[in-house]
Amino acid sequence: MYDFSIIFEKFHLFLPAAVETLKITAAAIIVGMVIGLLTAFARISAFKVLRYPASAYVTIIRGTPILLQLFIVYYGLSGIIKLDPYPSAIIAFGVHNGAYIAEIFRGAIKSIDKGQMEAARSIGMSKFKAMYRIILPQAFKRAIPPLGNQLIIATKDSSLASAVTVRELLLKSQQLGSSTYRFMEYFLIAGIYYFIITSVLGLIIHKVEKRLDISSR
Amino acid sequence: MNKKNKAEILKILNLNKRFGSLEVLRDVTLSVAEGEVVSVIGPSGSGKSTLLRCINFLEKSQSGEIYIGGNAIERKEKVVNKMRQNVGMVFQHFNLFPHKTVLQNVIEGPIQVKGVPKKDAVTQAEEILRNVGLSDKTHVYPAMLSGGQKQRVAIARTLAMEPGIILFDEPTSALDPELVGEVLNVIRDLAREGMTMLIVTHEMGFAREVSDRIVFMDEGRIVEEGPPEEIFTTPKNNRTRIFLGKFLQAV
Repeated sequence: MYDFSIIFEKFHLFLPAAVETLKITAAAIIVGMVIGLLTAFARISAFKVLRYPASAYVTIIRGTPILLQLFIVYYGLSGIIKLDPYPSAIIAFGVHNGAYIAEIFRGAIKSIDKGQMEAARSIGMSKFKAMYRIILPQAFKRAIPPLGNQLIIATKDSSLASAVTVRELLLKSQQLGSSTYRFMEYFLIAGIYYFIITSVLGLIIHKVEKRLDISSR
Repeated sequence: MNKKNKAEILKILNLNKRFGSLEVLRDVTLSVAEGEVVSVIGPSGSGKSTLLRCINFLEKSQSGEIYIGGNAIERKEKVVNKMRQNVGMVFQHFNLFPHKTVLQNVIEGPIQVKGVPKKDAVTQAEEILRNVGLSDKTHVYPAMLSGGQKQRVAIARTLAMEPGIILFDEPTSALDPELVGEVLNVIRDLAREGMTMLIVTHEMGFAREVSDRIVFMDEGRIVEEGPPEEIFTTPKNNRTRIFLGKFLQAV
């Protein structure tokens, strides 16, 4: 009934799709980091005009499904602007990850002992310089594990881009599956690819963590 | 030693500080002359640490004035940043930068704040570290140091800014008893070299030995001040006497 030899024979056919998956994920995380960092600063800012919109953004994104967010960008916005599947996915996933990454950064910054800011200020540093030279380097280090986690989630979430016809791993397996009725075999190929990607990412994150740990207290 | 004629380096006028409805400082007026060592003693919660923190604006006081080197300090970011270069602060919990080595901790201020060239900052830092007995720890991260060593690095970090006065906020309170001595020795050396210092401490013996003047605080007020031989033997105020009770008997 199942012909698992297909997994080996057709495995290589998925490489281009895997590259697409990686590209969407990388773009989503990069966009997410930029949005996340800015949002984190806005959320800890002394100004309500920055704080309120930032926390509204985080609450709304975290409170609604990512697939819905993707549909809103791709289909919903089509009345105003017609975006291609690829940019739609990057925008939706970037904005989605931004909310989570904002919380990661905010938590990491807040976790740094307030004595650090005081010590930096007490030698005459400006708030900005103290943030940039003293707080952020320590906060980034603390953010690495949850950021790694988010990166792995983003990798898997990128499969949702198949719903707007981005030619990534899941769409590839659906297409090959439905044209041959060998769904199981092709889904397994996609699954193996996801598993390899997330495992390698996990390993890299672990290495980075260990390397950064040398100077920690 | 007559330090009365020397210039006032720090002057605090009618400082008031509240946390909500709690009055932490009430009309505190105090001045410290150049080269003078003043120790602030008093029970926990008497406002000693808050006083130090108000001096370099880590806490905002509700009213009162702070003069450094004769200049009234305005509560503006730029003015305060500038002032802080001249007013060192040593914290109870050291607050070393854990992601920087001992040397990097010490040169951070001179390079980043004063714009000293790196080479000069390193030379200066090495000398200061030698003076506090930590030459062999130059390239070590704070995590590898004992509490006493950390506090000596923190003092070195402050000294590197060449401040006119150093505020010590219970510099030995977080240390194991056997490590207190090495930190006190460094402070003692600084006193000998004529560094102006305002020290909040619970080390009565040390305060008596090193200070030119003792300030006793209780419930946010300066209750009594005077030379150590007077405060520690014949305090005038009853609250000072009660606070120093055990210590007075021991002497």
